[in-house]
Parts: sequence; structure tokens; C-alpha cells
Amino acid sequence: MGYFSSLDISSSALTAQRLRMDTISQNIANVNTTRTENGQPYRRKTVLFEEKSSTGSFSEYLESSMRGKNAGAGVRVTGIVEDTSPFKRVYDPGHPDADEEGYVLMPNVDVITEMVNMISATRAYEANITSINTTKGMAMKALEIGR
Amino acid sequence: MLGRILTGTNVLEKSLDAALLRNETISQNIANADTPGYKRKTVAFEEYLNDATASIKGIRTRQEHIPVGARNVMDIDIKVSEDKSSLSMRLDENNVDIENEMAQMAKNTIKYYLLTQKISSDFSKIKSAIKEGR
Repeated sequence: MGYFSSLDISSSALTAQRLRMDTISQNIANVNTTRTENGQPYRRKTVLFEEKSSTGSFSEYLESSMRGKNAGAGVRVTGIVEDTSPFKRVYDPGHPDADEEGYVLMPNVDVITEMVNMISATRAYEANITSINTTKGMAMKALEIGR
Repeated sequence: MLGRILTGTNVLEKSLDAALLRNETISQNIANADTPGYKRKTVAFEEYLNDATASIKGIRTRQEHIPVGARNVMDIDIKVSEDKSSLSMRLDENNVDIENEMAQMAKNTIKYYLLTQKISSDFSKIKSAIKEGR
């Protein structure tokens, strides 16, 4: 408990949302990539979030067992996974990656979905910034006690 | 003597602790607004405070008796609990409502400011008494 754990929680969320934003940027950048290192078209990537309940230090276990449950320690990204949905088939016989029938496998990235996710990530980032500013305001107010 | 003067601030102190923990909990809820399966956390304090300041008090003749009614405010332990009851309107089984959390956070901050002001004014009153009003 304390101001710093509140700030740690919010900053962990900022990190997570920024990573999500990076992944979205990567998806949009590769919307037309038909060839990657493994010879396949680009697969859309998504991040997995998980609640971080404790950092695992002794003092935290002691505190949580003495006080019952604590608020937690923020959010963490458990991994970046690839979207396994099928690739889009586009008819483009002039493309160097076209098959015998003239179809090209395009990445399974939908730009509109990415844009919506980007707005969601931005809003979540802003909400956490607000939370940090509120905590800061409370800490400054507490310093004024006894003035 | 000073101890008796300062007993009034005990409730305020405990309330400040609760408000701080609540701020932490709301931060956690906002941080996990996009985590699948996360359930929002709440802090129960006002209910315990109400019980602790009740007008009746059970007399304990033995140490093993469960305390009933009024008790020392400092003995209240502020608990964080998971809110599993509220309806999950989302497909990812997360029940955090970000607008609600922001509103709760604003409310909690105002309460915190109020408490700090009250505690400050209490101290300045004591100071005034010590200085004999000069």
C-alpha cells in the first residue's frame, strides 16, 4: 500500500498499452507483406494481457497474508501471439507471389480492425495517465497536512 | 491529555488509509480494463466504520469472545474484495466499466482532499489552543 504501488500499477498498464500500440503499428505496416522469413504472408499479431497479482517478493507475500488480499500489482503482457485466421486470397496474376491460378495470399490484417484497436489502446493509455495524475495530486495534498 | 485530543483524528487517519487503498484498487481496475477474465476489485470500509461506531457495545468477559458493536476504529482492517456479482456485459468476461471507475476515482480524490483539509484544520485548532489563541 502507498502512493508508489498505485503509480507502479498505472505505469505497468502504460507499458502494456504501448506494446499493444507497437503491435498494431507493425500490423498496419505489414498490411501488404506477402513474403516473410518463413516464405508465408505476414500474420496479424495480437498481445495477451494478464493481471499481475504480485511481484513475488517476500515482503509482499507477508503483507498480503497479513492484510488479506491486496489490490494487485498491475497488468503484464504474457506474450505476442499470431492470429491463425486464414489469409485473404486476391486475384492478381501479375504479382510475383501469385500461384498457378493467379491468386495471391494476402496477410490476414484488417486495417479497420487495427484502427479501432488503436483508438481503444489510446483511450486506455489516457485513462491510466489520468490515474497517475490523480495519485500525484493526492500525494501532494497529503504533504500539506499540518501546514 | 494530548492523546485524548487526538482521538478524533483516528477516524480521519483510518479513512485516509482506506481512500489510499481505494485509489490503488481503482488504478488496478483501470490498468486491467483490457485484461480478459479480470474481475473488478472493491474496497469495503464505510460499512466496517459504521459497525465500529455503533451505539451498542458487547462486553467481552473473555479474550475469545467475538467483539460485537462498537470497537476501536484503529482495529478495523480494510479489505479488498473481488466484485464477481456485477454483470459482465463483455465477451471477454471482464466486468470493468471504465466510465464508472473514472467517476469512482474522482469521488475518491474529492473525499481524500476533504479528509486532508479536515485533518489540517484539526491540527491548526490544537496549535491555536497551545498558543492560547495568539
